[in-house]
Amino acid sequence: MVSKDEIKHLGWLSRLELTTEELDRYVSQIDEIVRYFDKLDTIPLSESEWTYSTKEVSELREDANRVFKWEKLQSLKNRKDGFIKGPKMS
Amino acid sequence: MPNHLYRLTANQVTCGIKNGQFSAQEYIFQILERIEKVDNKVNAFVLVDKQGAIEKALSIDKRLRDGEAVGELAGVAVGIKDNICIKDLKTTCASNILESYIPPYDASVIRSLKENDAIIVGKLNLDEFAMGSTTEFSRYGPTRNPWNLEYVAGGSSGGSAASVAASECAVSLGSDTGGSIRCPSSFCSVVGLKPTYGCVSRSGLISYSNSLEQIGPVGKTVLDVVMVMNSIAGIDENDQTTKPIRPIATLTSEDITKSNISSKYTADQNKRNITIGLVKELIEGADPAVSKCIYSAVDLFEGSDCKCEETSMKSIQYALASYYTIATAEASSNLARYDNIRYGFEYDPEGYEWNTYFSNVRNNFGDEVKRRIIIGSYVLSAGYYGKYYLRAHIAREMIRQEIKSLFERFDVLIGPTMPILPFKIGQKIDDPLKMYQIDIDTVIANLAGIPAISMPIGFSNSFPVGLQIMADDMCEQTLFDVASFFEKIVDVRRSPEI
Repeated sequence: MVSKDEIKHLGWLSRLELTTEELDRYVSQIDEIVRYFDKLDTIPLSESEWTYSTKEVSELREDANRVFKWEKLQSLKNRKDGFIKGPKMS
Repeated sequence: MPNHLYRLTANQVTCGIKNGQFSAQEYIFQILERIEKVDNKVNAFVLVDKQGAIEKALSIDKRLRDGEAVGELAGVAVGIKDNICIKDLKTTCASNILESYIPPYDASVIRSLKENDAIIVGKLNLDEFAMGSTTEFSRYGPTRNPWNLEYVAGGSSGGSAASVAASECAVSLGSDTGGSIRCPSSFCSVVGLKPTYGCVSRSGLISYSNSLEQIGPVGKTVLDVVMVMNSIAGIDENDQTTKPIRPIATLTSEDITKSNISSKYTADQNKRNITIGLVKELIEGADPAVSKCIYSAVDLFEGSDCKCEETSMKSIQYALASYYTIATAEASSNLARYDNIRYGFEYDPEGYEWNTYFSNVRNNFGDEVKRRIIIGSYVLSAGYYGKYYLRAHIAREMIRQEIKSLFERFDVLIGPTMPILPFKIGQKIDDPLKMYQIDIDTVIANLAGIPAISMPIGFSNSFPVGLQIMADDMCEQTLFDVASFFEKIVDVRRSPEI
């Protein structure tokens, strides 16, 4: 059973401040969805048989620096004196 | 000048313009007029670039007058899903969080379309960040189904399918993570392709779930979809997952590259003796109104030299849980970047502490996006990772293996694209699990990475029904052969009255 505290905590980790109404709704909806995911538990496999492959990427591009011109970033909203503005760290 | 130029297919448009039957300018004026006339009802476009479209049309006409060469999509009106970046045109993903984002570059597919002289007429509606199956989760409101405006157009590329069905553009680009091109194509009675993973560059597509999504075309005919694929498919240095295309089914990509054979897909190969696997689980799970339509099509195929056999795919039972686990996990990580510092809307960070600032900013995500971020964080969190995320990947591998073995017996696998007919706007929006469950037939191709196409196969209670055809990895040409063959047998192409 998904709990209110779990969803609240995951919301905080994801930087989402949920309202009480959102929290109540998400708890019951996500509980239903995650219970549906429990279907995955019925895969008839023992742990030693767990395998999966990942897609291969044959060649990686050289990790070279590409200069991105400042004019290209004209659409940035939060700028000041040639810098990008951000909130205070604490 | 012929009337109703806006109704023409992409192929008819380029031929007409190149043969001098009408000019690109005449055509594009009719398209823009059409959008003006019907889009207040359909709500497929979120932005129309009138000036850009007219300038491009004039340049094509001038080059033709001067005897210069023009591209293969010369003059064709194309609409672009609003999660694909176009330089200097607002790209919002139908989200408040990107309401004023203007990309400084073109997506690779956009560059290809521009080089081929397609005319980009505007940006198309979608579910916020492509998360949804009805286009109802959009900051611009739902796209309406041109066949019945009270009903959903499907999603998440609802704008891409509805705009083509309503003849507001000849073809469009959508993106497909779990059926987002095929679902609306089925609901709106147009042809939509999800290419093989790695067939089309994702550079410039705003990420939702990187291991599943692909950009693909929507058109009125299979030929139109083929024409767009010839422009956008193939290797791109900006997307390391792209592979060389394979337009001749009997040769491998490597053979084609080495021998320098024409590397273009075609829609006119006369494919005969097709071996078709009808996937039992897909047809059994469908509404009888849908399955009846599929069975009548199967009868037609069997009467035309095709061998059709019912087959089972056991791993389908895990597909939806696997898909939503992987998709939400990848989404929660992809969407972490929206901090409003590098791109976003007007909101001065000065004076804010960063936790408060980011939380305030991220409250601009819509309901479904927030839900998926949290589900994704849940399945990835300590204690649940092995139970959900890891098992989802095992299920994905099982599906891949089973599909692989099925393609040793069949050329293609078929079934309904959607298990149900289009439903009323608002009907499922409050029940996320029910909404997810309508993706059951389409997610398989994304999990396995294989190509799948949805094509109109008939109507049931006046609503379109789509047939889904799946082929083996990189076998787009097989899909085109089979789909164009079916298109000739099952002639259901009509336009909605709007």
